[in-house]
Amino acid sequence: MKKAFLLGAPVLAGALFFKAIAQNPPTPEQIQILKEMGVSPADVVVEEGRELFHNLKGTTGKTCASCHGQDGKNLKGAYAKMPRYYNDIKRVADLDTRVKECLERYVGVEAGGEKGRKHVVPLATYVATLSNGMTINVELKHPEEKRLYEYGKQLWYTRAGAREFSCAMCHEVLADQRIRLQRLVAPTRDKVYSYWPVYRISVDKVWTMEERIAACFDSYFLFDPQKGKFDLDKNWVKRPPYYSDEIIALALYLKKASNGATIQVPGIIR
Amino acid sequence: MRKTLGLFVAILSIGVIACQPAAQTAQKPQEPKPAQAEPAKKEDEGEIFKRAYFGAQDKWQKACSNPLQLAPQNYDVNKFIEEMRATIKYPADGKLIGDWRKGEELALLPDEYRALYGKSGGSRKGNCYACHCGDPRIIACGNIGPSLRGYGKRGMDPKYTYEKIYNSWAIVPCSIMFRYGYHGLLTPEEIAHIVAYLHDPESPINK
Repeated sequence: MKKAFLLGAPVLAGALFFKAIAQNPPTPEQIQILKEMGVSPADVVVEEGRELFHNLKGTTGKTCASCHGQDGKNLKGAYAKMPRYYNDIKRVADLDTRVKECLERYVGVEAGGEKGRKHVVPLATYVATLSNGMTINVELKHPEEKRLYEYGKQLWYTRAGAREFSCAMCHEVLADQRIRLQRLVAPTRDKVYSYWPVYRISVDKVWTMEERIAACFDSYFLFDPQKGKFDLDKNWVKRPPYYSDEIIALALYLKKASNGATIQVPGIIR
Repeated sequence: MRKTLGLFVAILSIGVIACQPAAQTAQKPQEPKPAQAEPAKKEDEGEIFKRAYFGAQDKWQKACSNPLQLAPQNYDVNKFIEEMRATIKYPADGKLIGDWRKGEELALLPDEYRALYGKSGGSRKGNCYACHCGDPRIIACGNIGPSLRGYGKRGMDPKYTYEKIYNSWAIVPCSIMFRYGYHGLLTPEEIAHIVAYLHDPESPINK
């Protein structure tokens, strides 16, 4: 009953609130009100993640809680150090990749691709909240972490695609200027990773950094050189697949830049 | 709620490939075919992405890929500009100023066009207002590029305007402004229409 209320109240309040502001983007004051009322729609996703964490079973019969403890007590602070190298998967993993690998290896639930996001996103968001109040501290100890960090830095500055974009061009050189009315944020300067995953009002979804990075690439107008020039209909390579090295490398680069910031998730942005 | 979830999980579990049993605590590197866990199709996507990211990069983009996002010191800027100028092609009929109404359709997004004229039109090709202001009726305009309000009254040479749109790096190496003609985002004729949109006294840019 309590759980039902926990889930129900924010949904209802959130639905009413967002119906009211659907016509216009919310003002900072409205976002502040949402936070104070504790009815960020992201809270619903966190609750969903908590449910999955304790109850989702696959072929192994285990849940996340079987290994990580009731209420994820063994995962407190884990998010503060991610992305990092994991021996069991022999790979540097960001939050999403770690959750996906756990689901597939230890819970026994298929979690790949777009289909798997319905489990990965709420679980990742829930696990992130277990590190709330802690300080981001990504260390580059393992050689793979160092390699991927350097790769992330390289990607950050790489100009590519039919629009000459790079991450740095918009989010470093042109930071604080506007694309139409949208201010360009400076993720490295402002340590924005402290509030990701976020509820994104404009798409009415919780996004992890994987979604954020992947979606940025849509605007690059990348194209397959084997098929010739860029074409909106025929030759547009939109985004990297989830859990790819490119996304993890950029996530590592950005999270490292956010070292020292206090984790407060889920955030809420336009 | 929980019942639904249970059912949901049950459905999901059907047909799921048996994974190795939980060995979370023992961090022994068991090396159980991690490559096989990824469907082959996904790897292809990653390869295509990498090819589009790096394989399609030209040598000038490579030169601009540095922390300042400018032509690097060891690159001869005059040569850079010459090379970029050499890529510029002009409309077959030689007319650098086309039809401003067609240019407006290319400059405005479908949403912007509908907001102004109440009918479908516009295009995703130009996307001018993402970075520039111009038509005073369009308030949601970016400030990355200079305002183009009244551009036609500034005594600019239409040839310069054409070349700037065709290949902005022939004027400012490594600029954020897309090389529209160079990448084929716009044809020479389409660029001439946008030149008209900027220069024609009847265009909303100059009204």
